[in-house]
Formats: sequence, structure tokens, C-alpha cells
Amino acid sequence: MSQAPSRLKVMKLEELLRRDVWDVDEERHIEVLKQEGLPLKALQLLCPMGCYSMAGERLLMSYEGCVECGTCRVLSKPEQIRWEFPRSGRGIQYRYT
Amino acid sequence: MAKGGGLFNLSKFDVVVVGAGPSGSTAAYLLAKAGFKVLLLERGRGAGSKLLWGGKAYAEPLRKVWPELDKEAPIHRWVTKERISIVWGERALTLEYKLGRKVAFTSPLPELAGWMAKKAESAGALLLDEVPVDEIVVKEGRAVGVRSGNDFVSADVVIDAEGANRILLEKLGLADRPSPYDMALGVKEVLSLDPRLIEERFGLERDEGLSWLILGDITAGIPGGGFVYTMRETIGIGLVLNIGHAAVAAEKGILRDHVSRLVEGLRTHPYFRNYWREADVIEYGGRMTIEGGLRFVPKRLYSNGLLVVGDAAGMLVNTGYTIRGVDTAVTSARLAAEAIIEARDRGGFTEENLRAYEEKVRESYIYRDLVEHSGIAEIFDDPFFFSKVPSLATRAASKLFEADYGEPSLLEAIKRSAEEEEISLLRLMLKVGRVVRRI
Repeated sequence: MSQAPSRLKVMKLEELLRRDVWDVDEERHIEVLKQEGLPLKALQLLCPMGCYSMAGERLLMSYEGCVECGTCRVLSKPEQIRWEFPRSGRGIQYRYT
Repeated sequence: MAKGGGLFNLSKFDVVVVGAGPSGSTAAYLLAKAGFKVLLLERGRGAGSKLLWGGKAYAEPLRKVWPELDKEAPIHRWVTKERISIVWGERALTLEYKLGRKVAFTSPLPELAGWMAKKAESAGALLLDEVPVDEIVVKEGRAVGVRSGNDFVSADVVIDAEGANRILLEKLGLADRPSPYDMALGVKEVLSLDPRLIEERFGLERDEGLSWLILGDITAGIPGGGFVYTMRETIGIGLVLNIGHAAVAAEKGILRDHVSRLVEGLRTHPYFRNYWREADVIEYGGRMTIEGGLRFVPKRLYSNGLLVVGDAAGMLVNTGYTIRGVDTAVTSARLAAEAIIEARDRGGFTEENLRAYEEKVRESYIYRDLVEHSGIAEIFDDPFFFSKVPSLATRAASKLFEADYGEPSLLEAIKRSAEEEEISLLRLMLKVGRVVRRI
């Protein structure tokens, strides 16, 4: 079997994220309010940008890489996650999608 | 950007449109052309900067708004080939259809939506970007304008074109937060490749494109599918996954990898990777789309001084083999603009006069398609179609094409495969029959 070219190696999420452009808002627009009852594994695996991770027992949300898709919003209730859009033009800047 | 009072606060508009996506810009364009004073508000930096899709739009409904579409719009390639593949492991079964005419085209959505917003501006609409709307303001049962931070702008009619994340409609109590089973997550990579290589690899002429739907284990058994769209010098590849089912799979440990790993699985898949082996990934992202069909459509698309269009109105048809969201968004906005123009001529934007919009939608192909394909949800709810069917189909194909000594008949190949997969033929026939009726 011939070796696949390096471009065809599976890329880690961190590498994929380097392809994107953001203008990160200094204000957090998404925040975990109440962890209890949230689907922790689903949030970690389905947030396309990997914004959710665990620090021990605690769910962390890093809003910086968010693309405002709303997946975590539909997987939660308003009292579990505060979900807003970033202010004035901030956030992901899609170009070729 | 207008901030902190001044003009923004003093001005009154005939119409304010929330969201400069395809539906918002269509409404703004048509109403500005009809002489309305229109304000088009966009939360992103420039129209389209928050948009991501698969890649294909149907042209004819767009030509009804812009007859100059073919000449002016950023059409990357006309879709001349439609492919459907069923993939299981390294095996794949593919059906290709060569179209007889130009029906749909590919384009990056930020670019296409950018063009539509420019058309709205050139017709006289005022586009202000970087303005997130916080609230549709209702006074005495009537929408009177919108609020962004401390700024308020008043209008006779508000058009809600906020998209599938219906923050504003939910605040007004006109829509509920959707069930995750009614939504799907699209995850996409944009690959950059020399146009000549795109054309050689896919057997295309210069302005021709390919649209490719993929079913099978690339979604790890989660109801959904994969897509490939060729643009001028990029290829969009990705997956669409039902969020409710994907969440259950993640919680149960059936889905173990991050969704980006599934998209990378498609990009590096032995059956696909040689089409784009030199390509660089130039962008990666995700966006939510609607899978609930009629269930996502709000009870009413109009109220006193307010109309809802595009994704926010559930004006998106998911047939199972294709998602039509842009032409339907544009059409719903065109119908909304027509209703507003008629309401003006009848003396006001009252609930009664605006009801014509909903009647127009009900008479349109969008509503007919939404009703006709409403059974698709049943198929999405049945993981049988996303695990057993693809594995059976590729297994049967392997019996036909990988027989060292003598090939079985097609029926025999299916029978034996069904036995090996422990599926009764009767159950299979009933299920497949249901798909044929539903999609």
C-alpha cells in the first residue's frame, strides 16, 4: 500500500480551526449557568468548534471559537445556558462557506 | 454602523428587515424597488459573513426576483451531475444522473448573500451591518419597530428574517425553542483546488458542477448524510447530522469522536480522497439547519405589523435527498413583499391585510413540498435507514461484483445479504416501500 499524501492525513480540530477567521468579542456571549441536566458528552462532541470541554467535573465553555450555530442552544434550556449572539459584527467571519 | 442615537433614532422607516440573509435581502430589494423606505439590519460584518450551507441553489425561483440572475449573480458552476453514493467501510455504491438543463448552481453562501444584499442596496434599501437586533418592539398588540442596544428604530412593518435561531420570535412568544430532533447540524470543510483539476477529476466542463449526496457509515449511524459540491476553485464537503439523534448517540457512547473527525473521515476516505488529494483545507465551520419540516413552521407567519420569512418561518424543504433552503427563503420573502405592497394599496398593514402573505405561502410550492415531504421526519427518526440499509446495499453489491466463482442473481444477492444481516425481507420491503412513498 502506498502512503497517502500528507494532506490526506486526518487533521485535528485545532488544525482545522486555524483555517478560520474570527473577530473575538471581549464580552462572553454564551455561558453555562447550570450544568445539572446538560448532555455533557453531546455538547463536547457535537459543538463543531469544540467550545465545550471538561475541567474535572466542571463543564467549560470557551466562546472564542464559537460560530453561533445554535446546536448547544437547542440541546439546553434557557436556565442552563445563556445564549446570545456576539455584539456588533464580532465572532466568526465566514468567507468561502 | 449607526450607534448611539443620531440619525438612527430620528429616522422612521416604512419597513425594517431583520437579517440580510437571502430572505431579508430579497424582501428589502423588492420593497425598496416598490418605493418603500427600507432599513435592512444585519448583525454580521457585511451580509453573508455568518452564513454556511452545502452549496446548491435552484435558479428559477431566484429569477422571479432577479431576471438578470444568470448574468450577474456569483454563479460558480451549473450543476450538471447529481451523484448519490451509499458507503460502507471501503465499499461504495454510486448512482449518477446527468442533467439535461441548467436547474441549480453552486456558490459560496457568503458570496451569494452578499450579492443579494448589494441588489437591495442598489434598489435603495439602507443596509446597516454590525447591528444585532435585540428585540422586535410591540406596542398595543402591534409591531412598531426594533431595538438594538439603546437604539430604537420605528417602522410601519417589521420583517423577521433572523434565520433558524429564532431568538426574536421566541422572545415574542411566537415560536418555541425547537426540539433537537427537528434540527440538524451541518459541518463543512472548504477545500481549495485548481479548477482544471476539479473539472478533470469530476468530468466537468468549465462552468459545470457536481452535487453529491452520500449515505452510510460516514455519519457513524446517526441519521443524516454527507455532501460534496464543486464550486469554481473550491470543493465544499461535509455532513448534516440530526442533533437529537446525534446527542443520544454521544451520551450512549455510540458516537465517540468529535464531529470534525467524521468530516475528516469523509475528506480522507479512500473512495473520495483522490478527487481532492492536493487540496488544502481553507475553511472549516458549522451551522444549524431545519429538519422538522412543518413542525418548525410557526403557527402564524404574520401578525399586526410583522411578517416572518425564510428559515425563521420554517421555509425550508428537506426532502431527504436534498435540502432546499435558499430558493424557498427567497420565494417566501417575495410573497411577503407582494403582501406588503397590496396591504399598502388597501390602506394599511393591519393583521387582516397582512394575512394575504400566509395565504400566498399556502398556495405556493413551498407549502406543497413541506406537506408532501412531511413524512421524511419518520425516516430520520428510524436509524434502520442509516445503518442497516447502507450495509445491506453494499453487501449485496459485493456479492454481485466480488464473486470469484459465478455471480448470484440480484434477488439472490439481496436475499443472502438480508440473511447475513438478520433482516427479514418482508420488513425490508415494507421499510423501503415507506421511503419511496415519503420522499
